[in-house]
Amino acid sequence: KLGHPSELPPEPVPNYEEDEEFLRRVHHVLLEVEVLEGALQCPDSGRRFPISKGVPNMLLTEDEA
Amino acid sequence: RQPGMAEAEAAGDAALGPAPAQEGAELAAVIGATVPTGFEQTAAEEVQEKLGSASRISRDRGKIYFEVPARSLPQVHRLRSVDNLFVVVQEFKDYQFKENKEDALKDLEDLVKKLPWTDPLKVWELNNSLKKKKTKRRKHNLQSPASREKLNDGREEGGADQNNSNDQEDCAQNPVAVEPTGGQDTEKPQGVTSRNGVEEEEDNEQSDVKVEVHASSESGTKAGDSQTGEGEAKVLRFRVTCNRAGDKHSFTSNEAARDFGGAVQEHFQWKADMTNFDVEVLLNIHNNEVVVGIALTEESLHRRNITHFGPTTLRSTLAYGMLRLCDPQPTDIIVDPMCGTGAIPIEGAAEWPYCYHIAGDNSPQAVKRAANNICSLLRRNESKDSSTALGVPLDIIQWDICNLPLRTGSVDIVVTDMPFGKRIGSKKKNWDLYPACLMEMGRICTPGTGRAVLLTQDKKCFAKALSRVGHIWRRAQTVWVNVGGLHAAVYLLRRTWERAEERRSFW
Repeated sequence: KLGHPSELPPEPVPNYEEDEEFLRRVHHVLLEVEVLEGALQCPDSGRRFPISKGVPNMLLTEDEA
Repeated sequence: RQPGMAEAEAAGDAALGPAPAQEGAELAAVIGATVPTGFEQTAAEEVQEKLGSASRISRDRGKIYFEVPARSLPQVHRLRSVDNLFVVVQEFKDYQFKENKEDALKDLEDLVKKLPWTDPLKVWELNNSLKKKKTKRRKHNLQSPASREKLNDGREEGGADQNNSNDQEDCAQNPVAVEPTGGQDTEKPQGVTSRNGVEEEEDNEQSDVKVEVHASSESGTKAGDSQTGEGEAKVLRFRVTCNRAGDKHSFTSNEAARDFGGAVQEHFQWKADMTNFDVEVLLNIHNNEVVVGIALTEESLHRRNITHFGPTTLRSTLAYGMLRLCDPQPTDIIVDPMCGTGAIPIEGAAEWPYCYHIAGDNSPQAVKRAANNICSLLRRNESKDSSTALGVPLDIIQWDICNLPLRTGSVDIVVTDMPFGKRIGSKKKNWDLYPACLMEMGRICTPGTGRAVLLTQDKKCFAKALSRVGHIWRRAQTVWVNVGGLHAAVYLLRRTWERAEERRSFW
């Protein structure tokens, strides 16, 4: 989620290596979009890691480590 | 070779006998390059790969020699494993020095008029015209002298601990001879050169590096500034830099530079000038090996990617050497988990753009500096048409080396400059840190094909830590290097096939 509909399916479609449209969108999101402010969210625990000035902070707190 | 040129040469041949060498076409040069000590072989490989020339590795460590056509000079300047370049005037493999000081020095003086200066000077001229083009382009480049002054200020605010070769090497462009200080925790002084010449201090060797005349302390003016473009008409200004190593010489480098310089002045009627020189003549003496050369670089290339320094910023040439050692393949994921100011990942992203580079550090200052360095890189890549830069396959994250947010076995290469007890952290901390690092790096690295290249000065601690993780890492190669006067080692490790246990951890 990038704050606007990202046009990506929730899971890679089967045979995604051949799907050029899909690959283009993934490439765009991975390599052409820079998140400056926001957060990364762990899909399992839900823990959010803040991103500030383009840099995510993934240091664990004392309790988590 | 353009068809036009071939025709011209043929015409010349037909009409007058051997045509004079056309500038840039047939002129060949023997180039000497200074490289980080220990990475001579790596540099030779790069030269072979990019220039097609074989190199000779000198016994005077940290130097390689190769021959190229003079027109290849631009490619020579783009070599990434090279700190400084010079064109060789003549090499003497076994020069016999007279025992008496006066005689030995007189021999050196007499040598000047016998040396084959013509072609090397042509190469120097050709090189100058390349530099002028570069200087014009560089006006907006962050590596201009103005910003380097700023950087110097930035570095000094850190306090006494910031004694590092960066300072010495930058001072090297300032002709004031740096006196050996021998203080605690200081590196062996590099003197005036930014080359590695004097670093290996063997027990019975004396070495000293001095420049012809002690100049005033005026700094900042570089030779590039003084070139007005009418180089041909005016009298050239020069200086002589002498590096001398060996315990059997009856003279000092200072004396050799002085007398040799005197003879050069006589012979060419050039003007001696310490600060605003056009020609820097190099006199390198290593035991019985003597090399006379003319410098082709004025500022060391090794700072090229870094505009925001930290206290321990690694030379780009050393970073390049380390990366080459792990033989990155396209699509490899390369991680530097203790990246500091990002020297290694930035070099990586620049030279291996088909790999994905991830940099991380726990220190907010380091992360900030690394991010700034990446921005500088992006700005340099900016096209004139749009304000968007071409992306760089590099990301930076703030993280804990012992709890990396990366999946087990997902990384191909780990490359990093491990904390040296002396500059950051402490030796005691390293005893605990090193094994934990090696374990975590082992976890993220792909079993079997993964590898790590780690630089450390704390060799004892490292060896001990490595012995505890033998089931995950095995040592493949060790390169002995010199980092800011400290004897360090670069270890190439290969990840064994054993899978790391899944961590119970947070991730």
